[in-house]
Amino acid sequence: MSGLFSKFKGTSGTTSPGVSSPSHKNKKDAEPEPEITPLVKMLQNAGPIRNDGSDKFFGLENFGNTCYCNSIVQALYYSVPFREHVVRYPPHSPLDTPNGYPKIVTPIRAPIQNGGAVSPAKPKGITAAEAMKRRAAINAGQPVPASPGQRPEDKPDSPEYKKKHAMLAGPILELTYENASSYGMEESTFTALKDIFMALIANPSRTGVLSPQRFLEIFKRDNEMFRTSMHQDAHEFYGLVLNAVISNVEANAQRIRELGPPKTDDSLAQSMKAAVTSAAHAMGLNSGTQSPGTGWVHEIFEGVLTSETKCLTCETASQRDETFLDLSIDLDQHSSVTSCLRKFSAEEMLCERNKFHCDNCGGLQEAEKRMKIKRLPKILALHLKRFKYTEDMTRLQKLFHRVVYPYHLRMFNTTDDAEDPDRLYELYAVVVHIGGNAYHGHYISVIKTQDRGWLLFDDEMVEPVDKHYVRNFFGDKPGMACAYVLFYQETTVEAMRKEQEAEGLAEVALASQEADIALGHPQPNGTHPSSVSKAVSIPNTPVDENGEFVSLDHAVTSPVPQAPHPALRHSTTLPPTSTTSTTPAVPILDINKMRSKKDEEREKKENKEAEKARKAAEKAAEKERIKAEEKRRKDLEYKRKEYQKTQAEEVKAALAASKASAAEEEERRKREAGASGGPSSDTSKEKENGHEKTFGLSGLSRSHKGSKSMSRKSFGFLGGSGKNGTSSEKGSPSMSSVTPSTSQTTTTTGTTDDTAVEGVGELASSSSIQTPEKHSKTTKDRFSFSGLGRKKSNLMNS
Amino acid sequence: MFVLPPPPRYPSQAAYNLAVANGQAAPMIETNNILTHPTGPEYQLVVGEGTYILKEDLHLATPPPHPSEAPIINPNPLATTPQPATAGTKISLLSFSSRSSAPLLYKIGTNGSTTSGGLQSSIQEHPNEGRDSADVIPGSSDGGGTSITGSARAALSIGSAPAFGEGNSMLSATGKDAGKRRKPKNNIAKSNSSFISRCIVHENMAKRLVDRPSDGYFAFANINRAFQWLDLSSPQKADHLTKILFTKGHCLCHDINQVTKGPSHIDLIMGFSTGEIIWFEPISQKYTRLNKNGIINATPVSEIRWIPGSENLFLAAHMDGSLVVYDKEKDDSAFLPEENGGQTNGNSEKTNGNGHNGFGEHAAKLHVDKSVHSKNQKFNPVSFWKLSNQRINAFAFSPDNRHLAVVSEDGTLRIIDYLKEQLLDLYASYYGGFICVCWSPDGKYVLTGGQDDLVSIWSVTEATIVARCQGHQSWVTAVCFDPWRCDDKNYRFGSVGEDCRLLLWDFSVGMLHRPKSSVRQRGSISSRFASPLQRAETQTSTSRLRSNSSASAEGEDEHTIEHPVEPRATTAMLPPVMSKVVDPDPLCWLDFTEESIITSCKSGHIRTWDRPRDTTASKSETTLASAS
Repeated sequence: MSGLFSKFKGTSGTTSPGVSSPSHKNKKDAEPEPEITPLVKMLQNAGPIRNDGSDKFFGLENFGNTCYCNSIVQALYYSVPFREHVVRYPPHSPLDTPNGYPKIVTPIRAPIQNGGAVSPAKPKGITAAEAMKRRAAINAGQPVPASPGQRPEDKPDSPEYKKKHAMLAGPILELTYENASSYGMEESTFTALKDIFMALIANPSRTGVLSPQRFLEIFKRDNEMFRTSMHQDAHEFYGLVLNAVISNVEANAQRIRELGPPKTDDSLAQSMKAAVTSAAHAMGLNSGTQSPGTGWVHEIFEGVLTSETKCLTCETASQRDETFLDLSIDLDQHSSVTSCLRKFSAEEMLCERNKFHCDNCGGLQEAEKRMKIKRLPKILALHLKRFKYTEDMTRLQKLFHRVVYPYHLRMFNTTDDAEDPDRLYELYAVVVHIGGNAYHGHYISVIKTQDRGWLLFDDEMVEPVDKHYVRNFFGDKPGMACAYVLFYQETTVEAMRKEQEAEGLAEVALASQEADIALGHPQPNGTHPSSVSKAVSIPNTPVDENGEFVSLDHAVTSPVPQAPHPALRHSTTLPPTSTTSTTPAVPILDINKMRSKKDEEREKKENKEAEKARKAAEKAAEKERIKAEEKRRKDLEYKRKEYQKTQAEEVKAALAASKASAAEEEERRKREAGASGGPSSDTSKEKENGHEKTFGLSGLSRSHKGSKSMSRKSFGFLGGSGKNGTSSEKGSPSMSSVTPSTSQTTTTTGTTDDTAVEGVGELASSSSIQTPEKHSKTTKDRFSFSGLGRKKSNLMNS
Repeated sequence: MFVLPPPPRYPSQAAYNLAVANGQAAPMIETNNILTHPTGPEYQLVVGEGTYILKEDLHLATPPPHPSEAPIINPNPLATTPQPATAGTKISLLSFSSRSSAPLLYKIGTNGSTTSGGLQSSIQEHPNEGRDSADVIPGSSDGGGTSITGSARAALSIGSAPAFGEGNSMLSATGKDAGKRRKPKNNIAKSNSSFISRCIVHENMAKRLVDRPSDGYFAFANINRAFQWLDLSSPQKADHLTKILFTKGHCLCHDINQVTKGPSHIDLIMGFSTGEIIWFEPISQKYTRLNKNGIINATPVSEIRWIPGSENLFLAAHMDGSLVVYDKEKDDSAFLPEENGGQTNGNSEKTNGNGHNGFGEHAAKLHVDKSVHSKNQKFNPVSFWKLSNQRINAFAFSPDNRHLAVVSEDGTLRIIDYLKEQLLDLYASYYGGFICVCWSPDGKYVLTGGQDDLVSIWSVTEATIVARCQGHQSWVTAVCFDPWRCDDKNYRFGSVGEDCRLLLWDFSVGMLHRPKSSVRQRGSISSRFASPLQRAETQTSTSRLRSNSSASAEGEDEHTIEHPVEPRATTAMLPPVMSKVVDPDPLCWLDFTEESIITSCKSGHIRTWDRPRDTTASKSETTLASAS
């Protein structure tokens, strides 16, 4: 780290930050609040919010060295199958309608701009200053480094600046509580992760910051190693989280099996699943009707390795299968991931001290061993072993080998009997470690989202990047940023081609932009007028029309009071009328072309439809509620019997919770009905939020905001009594034990870290400051020439 | 042979000390190239035919950044500003000697069987014996040789392949007075262009040009923002003849016109990261800028080549997936795609884009935005083809001067009949993008290298993949046949990659190891349906060696343009005959000459590996002795 710092110092541009700072400051002062971030810009005209979470781009707050968590959680979130399954599990809870949960209500730390709009009911609006102060308190000792005049976050283009403004822009989702009971599960890493996913999906904003505090607390509770709040290994974290998810899900399945839900519910669950999601099949209801699907984690991430061992004495070959969730591969200088994988499967001699016990000839024999992949996982996580013990085994050093990774991959090291040995993978996430060794540094992730291209996730900050950016982390570039974990997901040639054609358009714009940069003048690439317009329109295309349907479904059921109930709740019916009637079918491509004309029309339409949808929803909700009430009663009876047999204590509490929240819900709905005057008021509020396109939906989803604040209250109520209360009490001491250590380490490890980062920011900003001047200069040049005739200019300029 | 001490890197020791004391970046001055002669076992390549020995390592000096340009050191590894395109050192080799040109394996008529025996033996012993009669033609003072004038070359090697754009009167009108070589307009040494920083000419250049052996190699090499003209036959080869420094643009690719080359005239074109193109005549030090300020296409030029047999026309691959033909002597004009392509064959490319392939939803795979047959030929571009929106990484002209192999970042190989402006075949990589491509000397095979760490051999006549060559440990950046070790059955080629390795491969048609259940009969043409390539041949009555009579009967519609990826299980795998790390840095270029293999890397090391010597005084040895 110090090496990095000195490197920065050595460059001429940044010798004295004090000198350059005034100009920055002046500039910043002169400018009003920062213009829209590139992310927000990209998301303009994005159309209605989908409810599968594929268009949520939230940063994750860093509590001091928790970037290992943030980078991995982001990578997991944008793995479509994983996210879907997490959201849908447990299948017996009222799924698919995250907004129906009273408890997916995420308290929002008030940000500057829409603090008032977020919570009109309650004066919980902390001012931005307060929020920042609080942040500062939490991050005590974290970033604030050296020179008082110039903090890193003051420089535009520095990561600190962007992060700060991400926090200011908000909304900041505060996940400090757990919803475990509502999923019918015990609080665990899985439920906490699910909380994060659900909160992101449920939130009406596309961008913002989420504070994964509770998730970390729970994770740290379960994993002693991570309690130190030192710099941690992201890959290790990934493995632990996945294993925790597996064990949590399995434990839950076990528990449910013991509880033995009644047949009726099961059949209901089945029908519901069939109706709601086709993907539910992927959940793998492996062990009959009695056990809900737990195999999905395995199915997504798990592959099977076969180690073939051939005894050199008797020539008998033996095979042993083992499962893996990721592959840790050794690195060579100037190699590729392909070659590292091949080496992983290269033959290995078992000799000398490492002989092989052959069952055939008996005793230890020399043998040949090689590892091949028998079953390929859906998502292939490759851990590049960048950290290696030094010769004397005292500490880990980081390998800065240049290891290239392609955007697409096939595996060479499969067994002959492997299914689909030519499976095509595409790179979708890169977790990058920045820093000089294993004990310090920073993690970020670069992730390919479904339809928004590649994004850089650096804690609170989210920024769109171009495809070539992904190649900056081979390991040879200055800055010590190296790819550490690569996530590949399976794809098809057709999908690849389709995508290439789409992204090519963006690349055209980019390439010419590059050329312009090189030329020194920002020139609209007039040579390809067609491609320009396409390039603009493409990123705004939604993945599929399904998104709209789904989002409407979601809107419909959202106001339904879905009381949390352990293990046995069903959002039984999706009113089919609403799905069919509400098909705005907004072709997003058209938006760009003829927005001005059609906009108003469409808005009206949408409003109407939203209105319709709302009414339908309310009706449906009413129906459903009655149904649900009945069922709950049944369930209750059944449950009570069960309780007496089993421990029951927590379930009771949860029941109480469900009742209470149902009552709350009732109340809320009443008030809601009064409050939500009409679409007009909604629109105005939505405009404040910067989502002008999403009237109908946002009008509906706004109600969740209301429900959030309410349910928080209900939670507070819950906290006072019952099992949840005890659990949170249990949780709080561990939490308090964690926080002091956080602040401690941030003062020790954090400082070195931050200075370096600051240096980065300084240089970044200084270089960025210089470019505009250059640009203007060269453009002038060009203009002067353009005044002349072509031939003349040719002569003069050359 | 003596070695110069490394030149000072800084203006003066005092200045250096001052800068270091102030914590500033040390001011750097222009440095010189360094020639070294490392020896030892690690500088030898052992292959079946003998041992290649490193003759010399010429390290080109990386120029310091232009003063106007602040040193681009952005230590923020997460900076999202797009970086301009760069490329490692690539070399254009030039020799006026006929002997130095590769043996012509692309044959006309039926002399194949007679020469094959002799060639085969030559591979075993003397690579220089038994070559075509083209060898014997003495190099005239004008640099006559094998293929100097367009017409001669056409008669010799192309047979009946027409020139590009033949029949378009608008085009042919421009190049009538071929007797005189036209020079570019502007003097590069006295240029005050904003594009060219400065030009350093060796003080004794004229003398050196006169004194040098006529059969020696010139090398033109790019490194960073510099472009150097070197004389590889000179004892002081480290001293450049000319060095041009550009301000912002980096030269990414360059090529020499083989038709117009001569001791008094060399036509060189360079493609830049800014999309601009420079036509440079090094002997008179004159130049002309084309595609100025990216008026025709503003994306970087990734590959540029003269169209074989043409004095004026060259093809540039821009990174937005367009192939543009320019005329070196025409002025630019802002380009808008012409409706329906060319008037003459507007329909053909339309259908071949959408109709024939199996993937109907895909856009046209070759869209002619301006045809060479367009009547509007007053200004550049001469023609403009759009392949896709993905970056084109490389292309190569076939030896029959009819076809073009183009590889792109999206992992596709396209075989294009550029005379007809028609896409013939579209192949896919195993995975990842393709980086490099080349043709076999006889025009039957195409090699590609890419991000799947593989060299793939494609048979253009059979329209299929022949083998995948596994051995690189990283991406393959350059492939090249060794025409001195190829005959009509056996092929030698080399490849270099990001793994710093040079690999040599031997591949013979009949001896390919195929995995278990491979059904295909590769290597025998008769059994397979004909590709359009063959059809084209038969139609134009260029009877190739084994071209089949049954081919002409096939209708165009039966041919599929897009070929899906062959699974690993059914494709032959070829191991290398030699694999060695030959440079500390990733390699990016490779070529074979009669005497040696030449490689270059990203940081500017040009390494020359001498071919194995025989005890008998072979021709190569004598030339070696005279050269060094």
